[in-house]
Amino acid sequence: MSKKINFEIVTPERTILKDKVESITIPTQKGQITVLSGHIPLIAILAPGEIIVKNEGKDKVYMAVSGGFVEVLVNKVVILADTAERAEEIDESRAQEAKERAEKLKEEKRGDAREFAALSAKIEKEMARLKVARRRRKI
Amino acid sequence: MPANTRDILRRIKSVNNTKKITKAMEMVAASKMRRAVNMVLATRPYANLSWNTVLHLSQIKGTEFHPLLKKKDKYNKILLVLISSNRGLCGGYNVQIVNKATKSIKKHNDGIKKTEIITMGKRGAEMIVRQGYNVVSDFEKPDLATGIHEVRDLSNLVINGFLKEKYDKVMVAYTDFVSSIKQVPRVKQLLPIDLASDDEYLGIVGKDERVGLTKEFIKEKAEKYLKKEKHSFEYLFEPNDKEVLNQMIPRLIEVQLYQALLEANASEHSARMLSMRNATDAAGEMIEDLTLYYNKVRQASVTQEISEISAGAMAMNK
Repeated sequence: MSKKINFEIVTPERTILKDKVESITIPTQKGQITVLSGHIPLIAILAPGEIIVKNEGKDKVYMAVSGGFVEVLVNKVVILADTAERAEEIDESRAQEAKERAEKLKEEKRGDAREFAALSAKIEKEMARLKVARRRRKI
Repeated sequence: MPANTRDILRRIKSVNNTKKITKAMEMVAASKMRRAVNMVLATRPYANLSWNTVLHLSQIKGTEFHPLLKKKDKYNKILLVLISSNRGLCGGYNVQIVNKATKSIKKHNDGIKKTEIITMGKRGAEMIVRQGYNVVSDFEKPDLATGIHEVRDLSNLVINGFLKEKYDKVMVAYTDFVSSIKQVPRVKQLLPIDLASDDEYLGIVGKDERVGLTKEFIKEKAEKYLKKEKHSFEYLFEPNDKEVLNQMIPRLIEVQLYQALLEANASEHSARMLSMRNATDAAGEMIEDLTLYYNKVRQASVTQEISEISAGAMAMNK
């Protein structure tokens, strides 16, 4: 059996998960990475997407994250997320609504570069939430 | 003490009314405290973990030139963010934090004009202005913070001021919430982020008096998670170190300010609840004393009347 990693994911509002796990898949700005035990120290900026936590003998845990940072130390991973939710906490229909609303607004605000960028980011976040929520339904 | 029974009764009534008011205020403060404390406890892990990460980063070779980490030889222009309460009736809460803040200013430089102060909370603002300090701006303090966006303007102001070299050092003065009966006023250095700053200015939020604990914590972290595997201070940055620091530090400052605000709020409501409880207890005691006194005076007048009547009757019988 491989060594386990101390994993912790926190947001400014609460601690989402704190556990010993086998592997964690994290969306970073340069692409998705998977951290296993013995990874070298790393600090990366997160991109909106899904985090997958694997643990032997247990179901995978899916989480949607909107951005933040990850710090990987030897056998310890800390994720400082701006916001994060576990799949079972996401209301799919509301996420869908929010995404559509943001897309509509984005069309209207084409002229305003700052608003446009903010809305694009929002859409990306909602997409990540949707993806995670749907994945749960499939299981 | 009033001499006749009517006056005493009036007094008892008025004390009773005051007691009702203080009791109600205690209840209000207690419910606000519960919410404030929940928020504080929820954000602490994030604030502490992010603070540790950045402190650790500041130790890595090559990052010391980042403008937000750069240490100055001399600290001339200091900015202090003072978080106090909007309303009084909370015991020594405001006095303590203002005293702590002024003490630390005096330690840094004796010219109080050189230090600029940003206040949050009316009471502290009034006190610090009266003492002749240079208040550059005043932010409204929410009674119960709703989210991190409430400190966004403040943190932008702080970071920009520091980057434009308007300030050499930024500190925040707030009351640390240790427990509902213990709150400690604390001054913490925000910028530049510096592990080696004086002990007084360090301390992970919410870890009571164990100042200097951060240092040990970092050392422990380094030993436990890095040196053991010969990865000491060798980090991989993605996309690169500058980009990571650029995004991480402003976020961290924001979180630290938010945390300070939450700690201050929780402390304020606890302090108010405690002082209101004391007031209610004192009123209760006073009512007891007054009632006893009232009974004595009443008894005295009854005795006197009886003795007068019996004296009169004896005179008639003669």
